[in-house]
Amino acid sequence: MAASRETEAAVFAARFPKTARRGKRVSGAIDTIGDHAIFYFKALVYGPRAVMHARRETVRLIAEVGMGTGALAIIGGTVVIMGFLTMFAGGTIAVQGFSSLGNIGIEALTGFFSAFINVRIAGPVIAGVGLAATIGAGCTAELGAMRVSEEIDALETMAVPSLPYLVSTRVIAGMIVILPLYSLAIMASFFGGRFVTVHIYGQSPGLYDHYFTTFLRPVDLIWSFGQVLVMAIVVMLIHSYYGYYASGGPVGVGVAVGKATRASLVAVVTVTLIISLAVYGSSPSLDLTG
Amino acid sequence: MSTAAGVPLRAVGDFFGFVAQTARALVRPPFQAREFVDQAWFIARVSLVPTLLMAVPFTVLVTFTLNILLHEIGAADLSGAGAAFGAVTQVGPIVTVLIVSGAGATAICADMGARTIREEIDAMRVLGISPIQRLVVPRVLASTLVALMLNGLVCTIGILGSYVFSVYLQDVNPGAFIDGLTLLTGFSELMISELKAAMFGMIAGLVACFLGLNVSGGPKSVGAAVNQTVVFAFMALFVVNVVITALGIKITAV
Repeated sequence: MAASRETEAAVFAARFPKTARRGKRVSGAIDTIGDHAIFYFKALVYGPRAVMHARRETVRLIAEVGMGTGALAIIGGTVVIMGFLTMFAGGTIAVQGFSSLGNIGIEALTGFFSAFINVRIAGPVIAGVGLAATIGAGCTAELGAMRVSEEIDALETMAVPSLPYLVSTRVIAGMIVILPLYSLAIMASFFGGRFVTVHIYGQSPGLYDHYFTTFLRPVDLIWSFGQVLVMAIVVMLIHSYYGYYASGGPVGVGVAVGKATRASLVAVVTVTLIISLAVYGSSPSLDLTG
Repeated sequence: MSTAAGVPLRAVGDFFGFVAQTARALVRPPFQAREFVDQAWFIARVSLVPTLLMAVPFTVLVTFTLNILLHEIGAADLSGAGAAFGAVTQVGPIVTVLIVSGAGATAICADMGARTIREEIDAMRVLGISPIQRLVVPRVLASTLVALMLNGLVCTIGILGSYVFSVYLQDVNPGAFIDGLTLLTGFSELMISELKAAMFGMIAGLVACFLGLNVSGGPKSVGAAVNQTVVFAFMALFVVNVVITALGIKITAV
């Protein structure tokens, strides 16, 4: 029965090669989505098991993820890079905000602008981007190198299930590390905004602080932490997937890092948008009368 | 000098030396036109889909947040001005940067790193062919050109996306939206935005080629070089962004 169906398919492919190829491509794309889904599901389900059985590996990864590896560790690791990125983002927002609010004579509100945009857009997006670039890309490079030098196969041969040991531990490490990391990052973005407004544009610090603290809503901050936490999970999952299934030697590892970065950049923005719409969509919950 | 401070400083010095060499090779004749076209096409191909996928949610996010703000101060009709301003001055260049360094530069770095590991670069040098002239110059130019063009695309998508979102979902008057578009954003803002994108593309290309040429070791080092490309490109770009934004505001204000 099955054999006859196979010959039928072969005949079909021979008669309509273009259609058959197109069909194969579509079904291949659907297969890829399924592969991703299964991988992510497994990695999450194995989470508790990873914490229980690979505790030492998890702790090692937390340290490594927080400080970064190789040349990145020399310039201060993930902490410094994330702080750096968000600080300059905060500075840009202050520059842009000061000038455009100044156009309509309300540059006094720069503090408000900084509190609003940093918490709702810039902080989460830039932190997610930084996460993908540092921790995520490093993770893909590491797992990819393990894959092409057949270390992952060696693990499986020694009866160590590689997925919980390599991937779930990384997802958990990312989740744990992101909270202190993001605290520092958002502080850096506030600092960047304040520094530019007060010390470069010469606004009085009291005025800046007044509008800044009046409009900095704790609930927004908590949601922004939530956004970043989800992002950490998504970024680690995507990057581990591309690293875990890397192939094609050294070039393949590099290509996998690129593909993973691209995918997680899109994911970071999408996650921020979805959560923002869900949280602020129905009630903007902004009370300018203070 | 202690090694802890010496290593990064030396790398920075090497990088500037490399930039100088590239600049010299740029004006020296035979220009690799074929390689340039191939690379530009390649970078455009890997960047196009992620650009579209990233530009749409990003602009919707910015428009959504700005509209909340504008609605609150009773200026919802100005959302066109806000959308155009956000898209052209910040979202366009930033999305372009992220994609060009996340997609284009990583591919360049992986390619150059693999060539270095397989000793193709050394072979070229032995044959008396300058890898900088043959490989680096076309790549850097290609990445600059593609960034320039992508920026235009992102701005267009951004304004269209915010139009759809504001008008159909947030009930902004369509006429007022269109009317506001040119209120804050004019020719000079667009030019600054394009200038930013071109600078970003150039820096990303230079960083990718530099790190790719300096790979040594096995598969892990290529991965690490690509990782560093992303990180260093992002860091450089954010610094350049603040500086050009501030300068641009000063110039257009005069």
